[in-house]
Order: sequence, then C-alpha cells, then structure tokens
Amino acid sequence: MVMLLLALRLGRWGIAGFGAVAFLVTLLQSAGFYRVAGRTEAERQAFGRSMSILAAQFSAIVPPPVRPDTVGGYVQFRAFGSLAIAFAIWALVAASGAMRGDEERGIVEAVLAAGLSRPRMITARLAGFALGSLVAALAATAGLLAGVASGGETFSATAAVGAAVALAALGVCCYSLTTLLVQLTSARSATVFAGIVLLALFLINSLSRTFDGLARWRWLSPFHYYELSSPLVPGGGLDARATSILITIALATAVPAALAFSFRDIGSPLFRFPARARPASFEMSRSPVWRVPIVRDLYERRISLLVWAAGLAALSAVFVVLTKTIVQPLLAIPALAAYFAFFLKGDVYTSFLGYIWFGFAQLLMAGFAITHVARWSAEDADGRLDLILSSPISRVRVVVERVIVLMLGALLVAGVSGVAVGVEAHYQAIELDGRRLAQATLLLVPFTLVFGAVGALLAGWIPRAAVALLGAFAFASYLIVQLGPIFKLPEWAEDLSAFKLYGQPLTAGVDQTGLVITLAIVVGGLAASAIVMQGRDIGT
Amino acid sequence: MAVAAIGTSKLSKDYGMGRGLFELDLRVEQQEVFGFLGPNGAGKTTMIRCLMGLIRPTAGSAQVFGLDCLHDYVAVKRRVGYVPGDMPQFGSLRGSEVVAHLGAMRGGADLKVVRNLAERFSLDLSRRYREYSSGNKQKLGIVLAFMHRPPLLILDEPTSGLDPLNQQEFYKLLKEARDGGATIFLSSHILSEVEHACDRVGIIRSGRLVRIADLDELHSIRFHHVELEFAPGAKVPIAAIRSAAGVEEVVVDGHIVRCTVRGTFEPLLDAIRGATVTNLVSHEPSLEELFLEYYQESASTKALTN
Repeated sequence: MVMLLLALRLGRWGIAGFGAVAFLVTLLQSAGFYRVAGRTEAERQAFGRSMSILAAQFSAIVPPPVRPDTVGGYVQFRAFGSLAIAFAIWALVAASGAMRGDEERGIVEAVLAAGLSRPRMITARLAGFALGSLVAALAATAGLLAGVASGGETFSATAAVGAAVALAALGVCCYSLTTLLVQLTSARSATVFAGIVLLALFLINSLSRTFDGLARWRWLSPFHYYELSSPLVPGGGLDARATSILITIALATAVPAALAFSFRDIGSPLFRFPARARPASFEMSRSPVWRVPIVRDLYERRISLLVWAAGLAALSAVFVVLTKTIVQPLLAIPALAAYFAFFLKGDVYTSFLGYIWFGFAQLLMAGFAITHVARWSAEDADGRLDLILSSPISRVRVVVERVIVLMLGALLVAGVSGVAVGVEAHYQAIELDGRRLAQATLLLVPFTLVFGAVGALLAGWIPRAAVALLGAFAFASYLIVQLGPIFKLPEWAEDLSAFKLYGQPLTAGVDQTGLVITLAIVVGGLAASAIVMQGRDIGT
Repeated sequence: MAVAAIGTSKLSKDYGMGRGLFELDLRVEQQEVFGFLGPNGAGKTTMIRCLMGLIRPTAGSAQVFGLDCLHDYVAVKRRVGYVPGDMPQFGSLRGSEVVAHLGAMRGGADLKVVRNLAERFSLDLSRRYREYSSGNKQKLGIVLAFMHRPPLLILDEPTSGLDPLNQQEFYKLLKEARDGGATIFLSSHILSEVEHACDRVGIIRSGRLVRIADLDELHSIRFHHVELEFAPGAKVPIAAIRSAAGVEEVVVDGHIVRCTVRGTFEPLLDAIRGATVTNLVSHEPSLEELFLEYYQESASTKALTN
C-alpha cells in the first residue's frame, strides 16, 4: 500500500497533466462538434460524409471514423484516437522513468533496501499507473460529458466511462510492455528501445489498414485491440474481449518483466556483454570543440540535434506528399470550405502547405524549445549549474549562451526541414517561391526563441514547474489558433497565441508587425530572465 | 595587514523555522587551512554557497581576497577551486570531456596538472561519468577544483566517498597546495579529519559559529571512548586506571573495562603497562557528544566563575 502511494506520488504530475489534456481535448472536440456539424439531421449527415472522406486520407495513421455525424462518433475519432497515442507515450515515459530513471536517481535502491521484493515493486508501480491512467481517462469522460452538455444534449455516461476504460487498458498494456522492454537494455537506451518497439506495434496496426500484407500481424498490436472498442459510437460498445486481452497482455508481460528485474543487476541490463579491457587514461580530452563556448554545448547535444533535424525533415517531406494527394479531395468537401477559406489564398498547394505543415512545424519547434528548457531546469536541480557557476563566468552569460545554443539548434533543425520541403515540393511538382520558403523556414527560429525566452524566465523563476508551465503555454497557444476559426474566437483572443505572430509567410510573406512583436518578446523575455537569474538563489 | 582570504561580516541566510546561517563573523588568513566543522544541517553548505555567490545572504556580507562574493562573483571565481557537497550529473560525458569542458570555462586547464591529479587518484578519465562510482565522482570533483591551481580552495566535505588510501592522498594534496601558497577552506563533520588537515577550526551549530579553535584547543576539548579487554584470569589494574590523569567514567564488566580518555593516551597506557591486554578499541565521539560535552563544560565553568 505504501509503495502504491509512493508510485502515485511519483507520477502525480503525469496524472494531472494527462488528465488535464484529456479533459481539454474531449471538451473542445465535443463542444466543437456542435459548431462545425450543424444542428439539423441533414447538415450532420453531410458533415459526417465529409469527415469520412477527410479521414480516409489519414487512414495510415488513425482508424476511419464510424458515424462521425454523431457527437459520439466524432469524439471517438477526433479525441480518443489521438488520446490513444498520447496515453501510449505517457506509458512509455512513465514506465522507463519508473524502472530505469528512478534506478539512476537511486530511488529503486532505496525502495529495495526497505525490504520490498522486486516483483512487488513492479506490481505496485503497475497498479499505480493503472490507477493514474484510469483517473486521467475518466477526465476525458468528464470533458466529453461537459462538451455535450454545452451543446444542449445528453450522452450516455456508461458509454463515456467505457471509452475511458478502453483508453486506460491500452495505457496499462503499453506500460507493462515498456516495463519488460527496458529490462533488456542499458538505462541510456531503454526509452529509445522501448519507444521503437511501441512505434513498430503502432505502425503494424495502422499501416495494416493500407498494406494488406501487414493485416495478419495486426493481432500483435495492442492498438488493434483498443480500436475494436467503440463505446461512443451509436450501436457500438466496449469490446469486453478486446479489453480483456489488453489487460491480459499487461499482466502476462508483467511476469517476465518481474523475472527479468529479479535476475538482473541494478543499473545493468538483463543481458550484458563483458566490457573490452582497455588501459586507463589520465588525459583530459584535447578535442577543440570543448574550447569554444556555444560549440561545446552544441556538440554535447549533437545526437538529439541530429534526431530532431532528421525527424522534422522526414515529417516535412511526408506533409508535402500528403498535401499533393489530399488537397483536391478536401476541397471537394462543402462543409470544410468555410474552414479552408480561412487560409487558402493563391495557389492551393502552397497555402495548404503553409498552413498545415508550418502550423505543425511551429508546434514541433515549441517542443524543441521545451526540451532545452527541461535541460536548463534539470541543470539547476541536479547541481550542474552550481559547478558551471563555480567557473569565472557571469550568470547573464549562462542565459545568453543557452539561448544562442537554442537559436543555432533551431536554425539547424528548421533549415534542414526547409530544404526537405523544397526538395520534396520540387519532386511533387508543387511550385514554391524559394524566397518565401526561406522566410517561412527562418521565421521558425524567432518563433522558437519566444518559447526559449519565456522558458528561460520560467526556469529562473520556478525551475521545477518551468516545463509544465511552458508546455501548457504552447498547448494553449496552439489550440487557440487551431480552434479559433471553429469557435469563432475574437481576434484579441487569437492574438494572445504565440502561433499567431508567425503569420502565413509562405503565402503572404513576412508579417512585419508579428516579427517585431516576436523579437520584442524574445528580447524582453531574455532581459527579464537575465535579471531573474542574476538575483536568484541557485538550486532552490 | 594582508587582506584576508575569506572574511564574513554578520553573514546571515535565513530559511525560516530556525534554519540557515546567522550573523557569522569569520576571518580566514591567506595560506591557512581552515576547517569548518559541524553536524549535518548545521549550515556548512549554506556558508559555502554564500561564499561561492550561489545564494544571496539575507543580511551581512562575505568577501574573498577583499572581493564581494555577491557583486564581484566572477572575479572571485577566478581565484577559487570548488568541490560541491554533491557532485552533479554529467550523464554520458566521459571524465576527460567533463574536465575539458569545465577547464575551458576557466580559460583552459594544464594538461600535466590534470594528468598528475588523475594518476594520483587512479581516476580513469576515459570512462563515462554515469559509470563512475560515488568515490570516482568525488575524485573528479577534486581534479576539477585543483586543476587550475587556485589561490583559494573551497571544499564541501571533499573526502566523502573516498576510501582511506585516497583520503590520505587527498590530505597530502592539501598540504602541497598549502605549501604552494594556497588557502584552504574545508567543511567536514568528522573531527579527526579537520584535526588531521587543518590549522584552525570553526565549529558551527544550528547556523551559528560557536567557536574558533586552534589545534591545541581542539585537542583539549576532544575525548575518546575506550574499551580494554584483558586476558581471562589476568589481573585488571582497576585502581591504576581510575587514578590515571584524564581517565573518567570507568566501568568494569568482568575482564572488560570501559572508560573515557581526555587528552593524551599516555597516562592510561602507563596504567595498564604489564597487564595482558587482548584487545583495545578507541571510538571518537560524535560531534553531538562533543558539543554536549563542550556546553556542559562551559556551563560548569560559568557556574564556578559566578
């Protein structure tokens, strides 16, 4: 019981954060349904047909909707589809953190030293996550019911709870799988290894909708069993057998996970190859990269920078291909015409790419900035900043160097993706203005710096909550811009979003006012964070 | 009069609820090895973090070589080598890269000095930081503090995690640094360590500096718990032990004698000369015991004076 409480305490921020996201997503999607689907039966059926055509273009990622002309079918498709991915990511991070992260922090040793057996520890952590994910999933239920109530309708609470149960079961299954997988590798590569396996299981299921050859392997994927339930759809329900299979997989993988954990050394993987004997070295590194400020920090982050650059480039190329294939079918959907009229100006492909890809790229670049802010906060908490500041460098220089590293990293990541967009657009015969593409790409850098500057301020002010607050700021900014046209938000509300400042540079060129405001926020944020950093106690 | 290596004036850092550092006045001369002794939570690390300019004092001030620790902190750091109380995380960086990184932030480190320090402590710099044991992390901290040969070393419990051999090597390093002209400010909660390494000792308790003592004074306030085991059937010289100078609280349990010894062991050793002692164990008192003893002594002295 004590261990269960400890598990819940250690995971409280995840439960609160994912609960809040789940609530907001279902609330906004269900409330948004009444805005975009119309009120009459005919309007909703037309909307449902449009959604089905739209969703067919994305069937490689999300399952096709069932009865999207109803609020239940729409929310099942729009909210619970993406929440499944979010819960799987949460399970991955939580399980690898609980098993290997806590091991590095010494928490596992302390718990085991208190007399708890390893299998009981795994059981308690799994039970803690199960409870937490159920709470977060029930928040999604609450959001759905509140959103439906805002539309003046009612919805079956049993069905809504059923959706939460299916979501929690998927989360627990992914958690248990990750718990097993992270036993097999070193702590350093545990999350990546488990992430690759979970991604493969996700893709087996999602791509099997497009590639028939994969269909016979679909049974391997937990996401397949999750999709068999559609409790929100009229006539659908919670598939008890599929949900039981998810729970059975969770329990069945927990057993070998507990065995593997029992057999391996703490701090080591289950299978460990003997290290090659080599003579000890007493020499300091002579690599010139360590001598140059900024360069040494970029060098230290080289792997993550390369992953970000390659990932964004690949995604941008996929978006260009999608743009070529889905624009015309989408334009044929009457219900979406008003939505597209909001941003389609001039060439449709360019407009679509400018809005959809560069909108998504902004979100990713905000995420890139958040990873940097997370590191700044961690440096403060784990004492590395103490040691950095024991060198004769000023605190202001620390802030400035951090932001320059972020700027150069953003330039690299955005630059590579810009080149990928240009090259792929050329192959897809989409004519892009090179100058505009360069502007749109380069503008991602000051946009990223907005989050860097706000993050630097938060990291100096309340380092422990900086990442959560900045993440909430990014999420809210993105939602305002994405849902503004649907909910017809007033312009002043949309102006509060950092994403609005970016404008539509691919179609309309640089928004001078937006750029000036962006730069002002960056400079102001940096100045404020330098002042805060100068006056604060380090490590508190 | 030469400027002090470290000087504080009414230095206070109040964390509330009686925790922190209160009105600390201290002067550490150049080329002095100054021990800062106190139990856990007494305020040693708070004092050091004030000196390093990492936290702002609530009141008072601190100077290093006449430079204000808060306002001239960059200039202060040029003169300081620092071992933190807890070594931070450097993840997958190798020891050699951590040294190069932090060395470059100081404008470069001497390759020979680094090699010499790493060899002395048998610290393999080619290994990744995350693979280091806590003792090796501490050794790396020592290398980082000493590699630029600073005129002032501020060391927060630098021997924690070091094995006895490396502790001895560290004490030698301290002596060499002092002989080379450096000033050393060393915090510890181990009496024998500061006694072994320091010229003077400041004793801190509950955030207040209760005493600054030189080595002779330190010897006078310290004592040992001793347990003597005599061979079965052998004569136990109880009377001689009880009458030996500095021997108190004698308790006899069969052929085992327990007592407290103040000052030197010579009177006790004289008392048991000729007897067959099969075992002799001496325990150093904890700091709390020492403080208790010290305060009782102060109170009784005050009562006698009155």
